[in-house]
Parts: sequence; C-alpha cells; structure tokens
Amino acid sequence: MNPFALSVTDLEKRARAVRRRIVLLNANSPAGGHTGADLSQVEILTALYFRILNCSPQLINSDERDIYIQSKGHAVGGYYCVLAEAGFIPVEWLPTYQHADSHLPGHPVKHKTPGVELNTGALGHGLPVAVGIALAAKRNNSQRRVFVVTGDGELAEGSNWEAALVAAHYQLDNLIIINDKNNLQLAGSTKDILNTDPLDEKWRAFGMEVTECRGNDMADVVATIEGLQPHGKPHVVIANTTKGAGISFIQGRAEWHHRIPKGDEIELALEELKDE
Amino acid sequence: MSNSEHLATVMVNAFIDAVERGVDLVPVVADSTSTAKISPFMKQFPDRLVNVGIAEQTLVGTAVGLSMGGKIAVTCNAAPFLISRANEQIKVDVCYNNSNVKLFGLNAGASYGPLASTHHSIDDIAVLRGFGNIEIYAPSCPIECRQIIDYALEHVGPVYIRLDGKALPELHDAAYQFKPGAINQLREGDDVALVAMGSTVHEIVTAAAQLADLGINAAVINVPSIRPCDTAQLLTMLKNSRHVITVEEHNVNGGVGSLVAEVLAEAGCGIPLLRLGIADGSYAIAADRKEMRAHHGIDAAGVTRSATALCKGA
Repeated sequence: MNPFALSVTDLEKRARAVRRRIVLLNANSPAGGHTGADLSQVEILTALYFRILNCSPQLINSDERDIYIQSKGHAVGGYYCVLAEAGFIPVEWLPTYQHADSHLPGHPVKHKTPGVELNTGALGHGLPVAVGIALAAKRNNSQRRVFVVTGDGELAEGSNWEAALVAAHYQLDNLIIINDKNNLQLAGSTKDILNTDPLDEKWRAFGMEVTECRGNDMADVVATIEGLQPHGKPHVVIANTTKGAGISFIQGRAEWHHRIPKGDEIELALEELKDE
Repeated sequence: MSNSEHLATVMVNAFIDAVERGVDLVPVVADSTSTAKISPFMKQFPDRLVNVGIAEQTLVGTAVGLSMGGKIAVTCNAAPFLISRANEQIKVDVCYNNSNVKLFGLNAGASYGPLASTHHSIDDIAVLRGFGNIEIYAPSCPIECRQIIDYALEHVGPVYIRLDGKALPELHDAAYQFKPGAINQLREGDDVALVAMGSTVHEIVTAAAQLADLGINAAVINVPSIRPCDTAQLLTMLKNSRHVITVEEHNVNGGVGSLVAEVLAEAGCGIPLLRLGIADGSYAIAADRKEMRAHHGIDAAGVTRSATALCKGA
C-alpha cells in the first residue's frame, strides 16, 4: 500500500510543491545542477511516491516493498525533493544539495540518502539491475514490482537493450520501465545527437508491452501506470515530457540541462508555481 | 601431492553443496555454462541458473539486482570478458553499491593461450585493485580454492575470485586452513624469496627445487589473498631474503609484483625485487600455455634462470 494514496488533484498540488523545492534546491547548489531533468520527471515521481509505489520510510526494509530505480541519476535533485516530501529524508537537508560531503551528492548514493535503492550516475546501469531485482521477485513469489526511470538520451547506452532482451526472455511483467522522454540531452536535442525514435517500435520489437502517456499530465500518468496489467511481458511507459516542465522560461531549453536558477529567476519561477 | 582438479569443477561442487545446505545461490552466466563446467549444477537444480546470453554488462547488473532481491548471486564467465566488458558494472553496481555479488573470473591469465589477447585476462588484478572495496582472491590449488569459495559465499560484500583454466594439483593437505588476508609460505629459504599467486605458485615450487640443486635456498610464498592482504606478515616473510622475485601470469603492473613492490618500498628495506610476468607494454603471446610461460620467463625454468642470475650476481 502507498501511505499517501493521493487523488489526482492532490498529486498535482504536491507536484507544484516538489517543483518549488527543485527551484530552491538548485538555487542553493554550489556546483550547478540538472534543473531541466529534475523538472521533467516531477509528475512521474510524484505519482509513484504519493500513490502507486508500495513503499514508504516504514517499509524500507520490507522484502515486499516496490523498488524504484533512478537510472537517470543526474535528475537526482528532483528525486531528493520527492524523497523529502514523502518523509524519507528531512526537508532540512535539501539546501545541502551538492555541498561538501553532504547527505545529498550530485548523483544518488544509497549510503548517504535513505530511500535511495541504487547508486547511479553513469548511464545505462539501472535497467540491468532492475531486471535482476524483478527476476528475484518472480523466483521468490513476491508481489514486488520494480520501476525504473531512464532518460531518452540514456537509451543510446547498449546495456539497456541487452537488459531488455533478458527482461523479455524471462517474462518480467513485474518490471515497469518508464522513459522520461523529454527529447533533450546534454548537448542538444536527442533527435539531432542520436535519434532514438521510433522508440515504441524498438521496445515492441524487443518484446515489451508499450504504452505512452503525456508525462507532465498527472491524470494521464496515473491512469497509464495504473492501467498496466501483467501479461507476461515487461512494461514500457513512454512518458512524453518537456525538459524543465512547469516553468515557462526553463521548459524545452537545452541550456537548462546544467543551469540552475539565479537572482530574479528564483522569484519568477516560484511565482509561476504558486498554488491557486 | 597429486589429485589434480579443474578449479571450475571445484567451484561447481561448492555451489551444489551450498544449495544443498540451504544457501539461496543463483549462478548467473553469459552463455558460459560450458566455460563454467556447470551442467552438474543445472541437472541437480534445473530452475536455478540464470543465463543472460552473451551480454556481460547485463550479467553483472542482473547479478546485482538478484542480490538486492536476497539471492547469493555468483557470476561465472571468462575473466577477460567479465573484467573488460563489464568494467563499469563491476565498478558501479558491484563495488560502489557494495553489493553481495561474487564474481568468478574463469580461465584467467593467459589460460586461453593460443586464442590470443582478446581471451587473455592479464589485467584483472590491476583493475580490481583500483576499485576500493572488492575482496580479491587467486587460489593456487583445489583445496585452497574450495575454502576461498566457501568463505566468499558466507561473506557479505563483493568478492572476485580469479580461477586458472587448467586442472591444478594440490599444494596442501586437508589440514590447510585458508584465512582471508593470510600469506601462505610453502618453503623457507633466505637466498631468494619467490612470490606468486594462483597457478604460477606451482612454477615457483618447482623452481625452488631446481634452485636447491644449484645450492640456492629459495623461500616459496603463495599469496592467495590479494585484498585483504596481511602486508605485515608478507614483509616478515620477505625481509630476511637477499632478493625477491614475483611471478604471475598477469601484467607486471598492478598484480602481485606491484603488491610486493609496495610492501618492500613502504618498509624501506631496500631488498632488490625482480617482477616476472607479462612485461610492461606487452601482451601475452598467443601460444600454448607452456610455450607462453617459457616465452615470458614465468615458467619454472625461467624463474630458476632469473634467480640464479640474481643470486650469483650474474
């Protein structure tokens, strides 16, 4: 059971709170950040942690808890804000993001941050590990599901496709791969740098059950993930998102891959993220 | 002492016994069931092994995931592909995550002889010594191998075990007790200390006998435990020798030769050291094992020749 089980309206409100935290967390960072990536996955992570995942700070040692793997480790700022909102870590830690030897380094580190399941940062690592966890759950007759969020640029890493073959071969329908498809990566648009489209056809060819959603539309994210049924195939949800979603002057702009809000931008962003 | 046995067979028997005593052990292979000689295990436990196909990155990633799901995950494939192809998965998923995964590097060194350098693993110890927390073992004979494996399956945390690809005779009797970190001295001698890991220990045992015939008294030191390593014990064994020679089927950089060099240099004892192995800047030649070792001077005759030159001041 998810301890929050929020309605879509409450999830939307929570997502705004997460975004406000992302703005401040990045603004406080002494070492830059990944503001755009943090923002594009807000609906996905908020839906997971406040409605879908059978996981909470109380369940963190349970063999039956669902596992979330943040394969795109650079979007850790958004992940920390969700973990703080969900009670895994104190919100007081958020201003220490990327400060010297803090609990919140620039990529997820499980021995630093309660709630983090896997140290990531180098890309293409989450899915193979998620496959192993899902396979262990099957063998243990556990109801556990494993969710892994990857970027779309990250899918150029071949390890993803190796692991996809294994996931399909072992019929891991307890595995849910969510592609945060924001169409931008470090140095520009994914289409120009290394086109991964058509993504749905690739995953289907690898034996996955593929669904798509509007990844920054909370109702659609929730309906899509909750609509997944085990049919003997691993799931892929292509979440079509906007990098930097939710803040008018950040969204869809590649330069915000590494940038953080400064000066007036902080107030402008918070103004846009006010609750009605 | 005889009773030669292939170390992969020792490994598979250890796995079978572990499952029989209730260990939830899952071997993960990358189309390497024959490399691992693991069919007896598969016959006895038909639904246990996981085969990921020829995909080493996923071999290691999946093993880490299985360990997170409570399994004792053991990877079994050829050392060169494990170490090189899955290098970042070993660094990040196994070591940095401190996962409870045991990596078996099969047919390590230049076991694959004539199959050439793609199939040689003469850098595995160097690579893994660069990764902070993984324990590293190189058994030299069946009894030692079995004890190392039994220890590794009980130990919680990452372990690498380097296995030679040929049947190896026993060096020990049943009274031998492997201890992580401990150095194993097989022969005393103060003219020269011969130090080796894994299968080249057999070469230095033979070399010491040849040297004795030449009036040179050689110590024989087996280092099965590269990390942890009781360097104080190693130093005690080395410090009364006039010369030290290390012998390994590994690049001279980063393996047991480097380990010994560090120990001697840090102690400031000034004992001349000769590191035998695959020389700096070289690959092992593609040749039958015997010819390959002779070429690189790491067979018994080569060690004897080098030791004689050192001791007689030639």
